[in-house]
Amino acid sequence: MTCALETQLNENGKTASDLFLDDVRGSVILLHGVFEPSIFDVIEPGDGSELFVMEGRPSLESAASTCRELLRRKIKPTLIADNMAGFLFYRNLVKEAWLACQTVDEQGALCPVGSLIIGVLAKRHNAPVYVYPASKESRAMGTQKDIFYFKGIKVAPQNIKGYVPLVEWLPKKYIAEVRG
Amino acid sequence: MNKRDTTNVDIKESPLFWPARLKGSVLLVLDETLIPQKLHYIKVKNTKQAVDVIRQMKTRAFGQFLVVMQTFLLEINNVGTEQCSVPTGILFKRIIKTADALNKSRPTFPFEEVTSLVVRWAQQAIEQNIDIRVFVPKCINGYLQGIRARRLERVRKIADVLKDGDSVLTHCNVSGELAMAAHLAKKQSKRVHFFATETRPYFQGSKLTAWELRRMGADVTLIADNAAGSVMADKLINKVIVGSDRSCANGDFANKIGTYQIAVLANEFQIPFYVLTQPSDKIKTGKDIPVEIRNPQELLTYLKKKIVSGVVSGFYPGFDVVPHELVTEEIPIDVRA
Repeated sequence: MTCALETQLNENGKTASDLFLDDVRGSVILLHGVFEPSIFDVIEPGDGSELFVMEGRPSLESAASTCRELLRRKIKPTLIADNMAGFLFYRNLVKEAWLACQTVDEQGALCPVGSLIIGVLAKRHNAPVYVYPASKESRAMGTQKDIFYFKGIKVAPQNIKGYVPLVEWLPKKYIAEVRG
Repeated sequence: MNKRDTTNVDIKESPLFWPARLKGSVLLVLDETLIPQKLHYIKVKNTKQAVDVIRQMKTRAFGQFLVVMQTFLLEINNVGTEQCSVPTGILFKRIIKTADALNKSRPTFPFEEVTSLVVRWAQQAIEQNIDIRVFVPKCINGYLQGIRARRLERVRKIADVLKDGDSVLTHCNVSGELAMAAHLAKKQSKRVHFFATETRPYFQGSKLTAWELRRMGADVTLIADNAAGSVMADKLINKVIVGSDRSCANGDFANKIGTYQIAVLANEFQIPFYVLTQPSDKIKTGKDIPVEIRNPQELLTYLKKKIVSGVVSGFYPGFDVVPHELVTEEIPIDVRA
């Protein structure tokens, strides 16, 4: 989608954004984490408009690795910021969510930070969360510098603190199935 | 005076509290995109420039409201200087044209509710045969003075909500009020800690909220947007306070993208969720709020640096809607004239 400040209505009173959202309603797969690349083999080649990839602050590695793997398979995904998942659920766009986990047991899974947001949203909106293996283990915590910079550019003021968890525990009540 | 009674205590003001003011024939608008590097005011001289600063998000939230109101003052001044004697009809048309342009600047903020006040004052002036150039500026200035007093009063209410030992999560930026309340709470000897989400893609949380909270002497910790669940699960916060851009008759509201998921998390973890509102009954429910979808390039690049390599799509909804059942308490101000 390429709309910018799209407000022009078509004959049915809809904007380009409305039409885009209509197209993906109930079919979005939300992807978060650094996945084992082979899991993408099950995705049929296509325009990828229903595959939404979270940025994965602070490293953005989630976005980089998932987009790279999908583009390699001729699938063009849609990138969103980490704070936009709620919008997709609220608009009933999400069919299911996939999370990359580095450890799993009978109590739950250790997933990238942000997974809890998806788990809680998915529970509220009755969408399943599937947990897949991550391709690598993450550190538990990042440094303050990680959050004070974005793509190498300082975005935070002086004299504040930063708290940078990189993983979090997702209790099993939020997980529909462990796959892979 | 009681130790914690601050009714008569002056409130230290944040630059974000009143980010646009008229100086002569120029409207000075704080460029919020340059904070924290510098405090720079953009000179706005007409409606077109006012619409530009709103669309480009140089100002937002309460700043938009101030720009809208004061753009009418600019235009009325401009007409006065262009011609010695301007017929009332032409002046009224100018006001209607200004309102129309401002109403179309961005879709989610209720511009029409604001501009309709000015149009109504102009109509009243015509009906009562009073000079529009005198009556409308008098109404606008009086109204803004009232809003200022009510916002300062709300700062005191927010400070009342803040309790000793609180750890508060906030999202995006609430135009000075939270930071000023933090300062007031500190004067009241309350120890309050704040967590600010960075608020991608414009980083209002990092650049504005963390900056102004620190400037006001508050203790603030920055987190990524995706860490909101982590800090709640780990019991690091006990209260959420956010602002709002638009309210509905049933109590639903729209605010910066990311607010909905924070509200859902707060509900899940049974953390009280407070919202600063400007109640309105013009829209019935949140489903009816038009949500602005912005240019995905604003998300896919940052200062011309691409977020990921390769050609991918992006989707950037500027706001989301929070249903009223997720709100613990509203902290409202009455913005009616």
